Order: sequence, then C-alpha cells, then structure tokens
Amino acid sequence: MAKNRKPVQAINSPSQIIEALEKHQYIADEEFATALFLLLKLQKPLLLEGPPGVGKTEIALALSQLLETKLIRLQCYEGLDINASVYEWNYQKQLLGIKLQEGTNLSVEEKEHHIFSNEYLLKRPLLQSIMEEEQAPVLLIDELDRSDEEFEAFLLELLSVFQISIPELGTIKAKHKPYVILTSNRTRELSDALKRRCLYHWIDYPDLEKEMTIVKKRLPDIEQHLLEQVVGHVQAFRQRKLAKTPGVSETIDWAESLMALGYREVNKKAFEQTLGSVLKSVEDINQAKIEFTENQL
Amino acid sequence: MWQLKNNKYKHLKQQAFQTESIAESVVAFVQFARSHGFNVGIQETQDALQCAKKGLITNKESFKYAMKAIFCNSPEDRKVFEKLFLLYWDTNPFDMQEPKNKTLVQGSLKKKTNASLVMLGRGKTEAPEEEGKNVSGANESERLKRTDLAKLNEMDATLLDEIARKMFKQLALRLHRRMKESRRKGLINLRRTIRRSIGYGGEPIDLFRRARKPKKQRLIVLLDVSGSMDKYSYFLLRFICALRENFRQLEAFVFSTSLIRISKALQPNRLDFVLDTISKQTDNWSSGTRIGECLHEFTDKYGKLLLNGSPTILILSDGLDTGDPALLSREMIKLHRRARKLIWLNPLKGMKGYTPEARGMKAALPSVDDFRSAHNLESLLELENILADA
Repeated sequence: MAKNRKPVQAINSPSQIIEALEKHQYIADEEFATALFLLLKLQKPLLLEGPPGVGKTEIALALSQLLETKLIRLQCYEGLDINASVYEWNYQKQLLGIKLQEGTNLSVEEKEHHIFSNEYLLKRPLLQSIMEEEQAPVLLIDELDRSDEEFEAFLLELLSVFQISIPELGTIKAKHKPYVILTSNRTRELSDALKRRCLYHWIDYPDLEKEMTIVKKRLPDIEQHLLEQVVGHVQAFRQRKLAKTPGVSETIDWAESLMALGYREVNKKAFEQTLGSVLKSVEDINQAKIEFTENQL
Repeated sequence: MWQLKNNKYKHLKQQAFQTESIAESVVAFVQFARSHGFNVGIQETQDALQCAKKGLITNKESFKYAMKAIFCNSPEDRKVFEKLFLLYWDTNPFDMQEPKNKTLVQGSLKKKTNASLVMLGRGKTEAPEEEGKNVSGANESERLKRTDLAKLNEMDATLLDEIARKMFKQLALRLHRRMKESRRKGLINLRRTIRRSIGYGGEPIDLFRRARKPKKQRLIVLLDVSGSMDKYSYFLLRFICALRENFRQLEAFVFSTSLIRISKALQPNRLDFVLDTISKQTDNWSSGTRIGECLHEFTDKYGKLLLNGSPTILILSDGLDTGDPALLSREMIKLHRRARKLIWLNPLKGMKGYTPEARGMKAALPSVDDFRSAHNLESLLELENILADA
C-alpha cells in the first residue's frame, strides 16, 4: 500500500513543499510554500499575482512534477469563450457521422443521440481537468486578466463546484478536484467574487541572494563571478525606471546567453552583445549601455 | 464618535484575550479583521479553522502566512494584514494603541453621508428645471447646444444641464445599439447549423451565423481641471460619465498640477460630490497646469497597468501649459506609441481664429491623431462617431 501512496499525501507541512520544490529546481520561500500547502490541503484555487517573469507560470509546472500528475494549461486571451476553453463538438466528424447514418433505419432521436456522444466531443482544457480519471491534475489558468469579464463569471461556477453542464450530454462532475492555479499580471482588477473563492499570493522580484540561488539552481555550471555580476546588474536595472522591468526569467536567459557565448565575466563587449536578452526596449538598452560605459570610466 | 469606534476595537481585542479555545480566538480574529475593512466571511473563517486543524497553527509564522493567503486579495491588503496580525496576536489589549487604519473605515462612512446629502440637494433643484424645460422651444435648445460653455449665464446653465443629461443618455444608448446591430455578419455557427440539419437528414440547409463579439475598446480619459478650464470642467465631467455607460472599461483621471484617478468615484448621481472632493483634494484645483508632468506621472504610475492592448486615449485640455514643453512633447510621443488613437479635445478650438499657438499645445500636437473642439454641447456629441469606430 505504501508504494501506491500519492505524493500529495506525503506532504504534511509547508517546509516539505520547499524541499520537494527545490528538487524540481524551484525556489520558494516559506510564505509561498504555505500558500501552496493550503492549495493542496484545502483544495481551494490559488490566485498568484505579481510582475511578469517571477515564476508564476513556472510554479504550476514544478507543482505538477512534484505531485507526479498532469499539468493542464489554459492560456487566457481577449475573446476566449466556452468553445475554446471547455468543449466543442467535432463538426466535421459529425457531418460525416450523419452521412454514414443515412441508409440506416435509426430514428431522428437516435441519430441525434449518436452524433452528440462522447466520440464527437472535443475536450478543451477546463473539461479535461475535471474528467481526469486517475488522479487530480494541476490546472493552470494563465493570465486571467486578459480574458473578458464574462469568462471570469463562468469560471466562478466551475471553481466552486467543479462541474460542467453540457446540454447534450448532461452534467459532468469532477472525480478528482483539480489543483487550480490562476495567474494575473494585474492589467485589470479581477472581480471580488472570484478573488474571494481563491487563496491569494503576491510574488515579488526576489532579492539578490535569492535570485542568485535561483539562477544557480537553473544553471549549475555557471561560475560564481559571472553569476554575481549578472544578478547584480539585473537587480540594478530593477531599481531604475525602465519601459520594461526584467524578471527572473530574463536573468536566467541572460546568464545562459553569456555562457553560450563563452564569456566568463560581463565586460563591455559581452554587455553590449547580449543586452537584448534581458532588456526588451531600445530606449532601455541605449540607456543601459551609456551608463555601463560611464561606470567603467 | 471616534472614541467610540476605538472602544469597539478594544472590546473586540479584549474579547479575544478572554477566549478559551484556539478556535474561539481564530473566530475572534476574523471578526477583528472584518472590523478593519477586510472582506472576510464565513467561508474564510472555516478555511482558517481548517488550517488550524491541519497543524499549521503550531508555528506562528506559518499560521500568519496561511491567514494571509486566505484573507488578502491584493498587495495593499497584504501590507495592512501584517500590521493587523501583529496588533491582534502580539499586543496586550491594555496598552493597545489606536488602530492605524481607522481612516479607512471612517473615510467610507463619511463618503456615504456626503453622497446622500448630494442626493438631497438634487431633489430640491429638480422642480425648477422641469419648468424651464417646458418653456424652452426647439430653437432655444438648438441655440444652447451651440453656445460656448464658458459664456453661459446662470439660467441657461441649468437648462443646458438638463438637455445635456438627456443627450448624453441617448448617446450612450446609441453607441450601445450600434454594436448590437452588426450581428448579421460573421462566421457560420457550425454548432447550431449541424444541430438543425439533423432534421433534414444531415443537409445543412439553414445556415446560422455567429455574431462577432463587439470588441470592447478600452478608453482612458484625462481631464484638465486647471483654472483656465474651470468653466468647462463640469460639463466635460458629465460627458465622461455618459461615456462610462458605454465603455465599461473606462478609466478617468483629472489633472492640473498633479494627477488623480477618479474612475471608481465616477457615477452620474454623485457628480457634484466628485467635483467637491476633487477640489478639496487638490489644493491646486483651478490653478496652473503642468500637463507634461501629469502625463509623466500617468505613464509612470499607471502605464504598465492601463496602457496594455492599445486603448483609445482622450485628453480634454486647453493646452495652456505652465510646465516644460519639451517634457510634454516627450510624454505625448510615449503615449501616442502605446495608444490606438490619441484624441485631444480643446475647448479653445471653438473660438474664431484660434490657432494652436500656446507652447504646450504646439508641443503636443504632432502626437495627436485627432484634434477637435469641445466648447459646446454639439461638439461633444460629434465625438460619438469617432468613438463608435474606436
């Protein structure tokens, strides 16, 4: 029996989550781990907010690996509707199905019943997440602030009862409640009703030490000197008013590009050559270049 | 009054001190948080108790983090929560200080009473307006619609106010309808078509179309409330209110020497109150304008939040800038780059022989897509066509 024990049952405290996540190359502090612990134990959705590139999406992946379960991802965008997020009928197949039935003696009701059966159903992420047979998956609803308010209202129902009604098939109830992680970049306020159904955590940019640990974890081969320089620069970038503030993922990208090009330290040439992987706007890049040269002198 | 409130907190706190079980103290803490403006209900209490059950309560830090995840809804909440948690669990009730965020509760209380006062005032003025409306003929209202807002006398002002209210209401309605009527075009809705075709043995005879969802355009309005705009601001504010009925995602700001976000406060029946509050909040209401600085503040503070997805930006200002024109020009270029369309409404443009000679206006103009007048009601209503396309 012990062999079949699910990973989620083995977790009994937030600190265990920190350890387990570290094995999957994700560094979490205790506060965040507590929020995740509650997500697992209370089975409430967790809403993550914070600036772009601090690992909001990444945690869902790490969590699914930790729980040895599937990750189902729904990327939100403006105009996302039920057909793209929950289910859709396979129309081409339905048309063929109707044609094939032409010679048979089936009644209209029987025909209808046939072409609106499971066989013709295309499951989109939300439906998939509640139809999982084996164990609860991790459901990531990414960048929810991009979707319309109507979609948000629909989510309310799903997140509270974990069931979906399909008029032609009936109501489908989740066998295993998925672990839901929602992320938002705060381009608009989410509704209070939704927020109240969720646990909430704000992820901020990490401090110097933590960011170094994160980069080191991702790029174990990086030399200490280069690591310090890269993270130091990025931390300094964040202090300034830039058009786009770099996140942790940019730090990792930058360190990776420097290593790929064989640099062992951030000198002028290396800086100018690779700046594009951390700063994403011409003004920012020019400004940073000028200041780098000034600092050198 | 305030003393009384404070006593209530103390009472709550003392009550907590006297509780006998952990469950009781947790429940008392929820009440404590609620009395400090947190939106927490029974569900949250249950969750909090669940946490205690899961053994999270053995460690104070993790208990705090757990409560935080359950109670908070925004980064602002999280800051307040830290203080609240300390206040509740770490202080002795007898040397408890006055709670720091009392203004939060008090503020909301004050707002309510003020709002009802405004409503009362409106109720009284309703009757004479009614009379005025009956007297005026069609010509009269046509004339008023073209009158420069700055040249109105008292009597005409109330009359125009009434007309404006009606016209703006119609405007909002028309914009709404126009979106609905475009439903005949669009992609074929396969789902309904196939469902219906079963009756014909699978031949899709009736085609159903899927209406393309009207794309909700976001609109950001920046209204200049400096001295030179004084005569216009009230009507323009009402105009913004009317726009809000149509653009659900409207964000409104007023500026003169500094910038204030008024999106949430903006409701037609509370307009007087909004004006009043703004004038109190800015010591510089109706004084010199620093448009460039205000725009800078806007992009700096709200840019990342609001300028995503190319909204339409509407600036209502006379362009009489006392700040640095170079800064204004720079900020306008920045805004223009991130906006779908940048419209500048200038009440002065309605004057005969007006040319954008003012330093500020000159600096801003190259980045403006549409430069229009806004001196009378008619010119405001013309905007409808532009916004309908937006």
